[in-house]
Amino acid sequence: MSPRVVAATLVVRIRSLYRERSALFFTFAFPIILVLVFGAIFTRPERLNFELPVQDHSRSEASARLLEGFTADHVFTILPVPLDVDPALYAREHKLTLLLVIPSEFQSWHDLRAVERDAAAGAPLTYVHDPSSTSVDTKIQLLNSIVAAANQRYSGATAFITLVPQSILSGTYRFIEFFVPGIIAMAIMTSALSNALNSNAELRQKGILRKLAATPITRADWLVSSILYQLMLAVVSTGAILLTSYLVFDVRLHIDMWLPLIVAVEVFAFVGIGMTLTPLAKEAESASAVSNAVLFPMMFLSGTFFPVEMMPGFLQTVARFLPLYYVNEALRAAMIFADSASALRWSSILAAFAAAAFVAGTIRTRWGE
Amino acid sequence: MSGDKEHAIVVENLTKDYGDIRAVDDVSFTVKRGEVFAFLGPNGAGKTTTVEIIETIRAPTSGRVSVLGLDVATSRGAIIPRIGVLPQGFNSFDRITVAESIRFYSRLFGGSAADVDGLMDLTELREKRDVQFKNLSGGLKQRLGIAIALVNDPEVVFLDEPTTGLDPHARRAVWSVLQGLKSKGKTVFLTTHYMEEAELLADTVAIISSGRIVATGSPARLTEMHTEQLRVTLSPGDAASIDLIQRMGFNPARTIDDGVDIPVRTSDDVLGILAAIREAGLPAPSGLEVRRPTLEEVFLKLTSEPPAERSRRSAP
Repeated sequence: MSPRVVAATLVVRIRSLYRERSALFFTFAFPIILVLVFGAIFTRPERLNFELPVQDHSRSEASARLLEGFTADHVFTILPVPLDVDPALYAREHKLTLLLVIPSEFQSWHDLRAVERDAAAGAPLTYVHDPSSTSVDTKIQLLNSIVAAANQRYSGATAFITLVPQSILSGTYRFIEFFVPGIIAMAIMTSALSNALNSNAELRQKGILRKLAATPITRADWLVSSILYQLMLAVVSTGAILLTSYLVFDVRLHIDMWLPLIVAVEVFAFVGIGMTLTPLAKEAESASAVSNAVLFPMMFLSGTFFPVEMMPGFLQTVARFLPLYYVNEALRAAMIFADSASALRWSSILAAFAAAAFVAGTIRTRWGE
Repeated sequence: MSGDKEHAIVVENLTKDYGDIRAVDDVSFTVKRGEVFAFLGPNGAGKTTTVEIIETIRAPTSGRVSVLGLDVATSRGAIIPRIGVLPQGFNSFDRITVAESIRFYSRLFGGSAADVDGLMDLTELREKRDVQFKNLSGGLKQRLGIAIALVNDPEVVFLDEPTTGLDPHARRAVWSVLQGLKSKGKTVFLTTHYMEEAELLADTVAIISSGRIVATGSPARLTEMHTEQLRVTLSPGDAASIDLIQRMGFNPARTIDDGVDIPVRTSDDVLGILAAIREAGLPAPSGLEVRRPTLEEVFLKLTSEPPAERSRRSAP
């Protein structure tokens, strides 16, 4: 072994790495981005003072005393919820992970048990929770321990207050149900963006674009064909994801006209974003660097793999500037909650992104030169 | 200006700048209909930029260019269907076969009737019709590129370095395709840095160097114009003969294989040298070669001169 040969080889390798942007990105920048993103998500300081939205239909002395127990050690802050709303719907719309409902009969149940000494009298309280939230379990445990303490004030073998969990959803809802729409959104984004960037850079580098420039094909022809192509890929991959998750995990999501609509708007949005970024990515290397730099943060910050609500506030703000966030929200609204109003709202924002990207992209792309 | 029947291409005072760099500098030339025009120049001389402006792919900084009587600046849509282009370093879609590629490009021109088989015959690609592009050799790729350049039955065909990087056999195969085009009466605009290619195929040659045209004319005329001398080689060249030739006022030089090389002006000089050797009773040379310097020598001479001297020379 010759140290000189080893050293020379080492120098050549380091130079090549240093000069290849996408290799540099994956070797150094990518892990650092992951550390920053996940670090920011998972090292969020635990808040002891939770907010507890309560819909108090009883508004009685008994319910007031119960609520005092919740706020006693500054464990919970009570947020009153309007009485005329459906609690599950309200929780969904306001992205609440836990909501307690005190029924109007609470005072009379209390009187039965405490005054008339009816040991059989009980007060079932419903709490609406979002099972996909990871922080909700801690809150439910706290809720249980406070209720247990409150029950000690009542004599008798059976507990006076019982907690009845109600999912934020009508049907069953597991993490996989949350996950599948996110994966659909991600797959379409990745395909549309990397096609627009990487394949275009490849065609440019090989001179195929120059050859095409010497034929009657127009920019509109080219664009329409890429959009149709991406739509076809999106339909096939969405179908495959849905079928696999149904067959393997029995995931049954709500499929209606919103699904194809949102998928189509997403294709438009990311083909447009790809067009806008094309001038930055003239070579295959810079193309993959650019697409990675866009794809990965978007994947982790837009609620693809976990709810955006888990992230610290500033990252939640960042998410609201990312088009993929609106795809995720729209798809989940449509496929999990069957909530057309929300699906419409989110996909309209997405459509605005798509329109902006298209205008910017059309201005920036030119044939040949 | 140039809606004439005689010329396929007219370039007048064409200039192209890339930022501060002047890639093409006040270039003018014409290409006659039906001729093979060879555009010669070293790498980076401005050949491809000029060709791409004529093909309407690039916009000129200044100057006028017309193709088939149509201005490239305003008539791109009318020019494109009437020209065929083989770009430099031609590539097609990796996983698309020969026949599929030809059909694809012919559809771009709206040509339903494009004769795919005929084009494959012309370029001798029929056996390779179902081979994917990525599996073709360099020569076959170029031939496919030529076939594709012909899908719209163009009046003018641009071939940008069609044989660069090919081995001698592949190059000859491409040449035979080009000769086929010439015999069909197409106007061919050939860009190359191979002199033998230009000498073999071209009716007219223009030499470009550092963005300027330094010479134009037929290959024979260019060699005539730019070299005053003939070259005589005698072998073997014994010392006495060399001495004698030197005394006659010539400047002989020994060649590596024991011959003697003599630059002369006219064929009379050759006869004079041979007569003098015989009169002196010296052994007659067994080998005699008289040749005119090649286009390559002209090219090297013209493209290696400093710009000032060159522009003076090319002024007339």
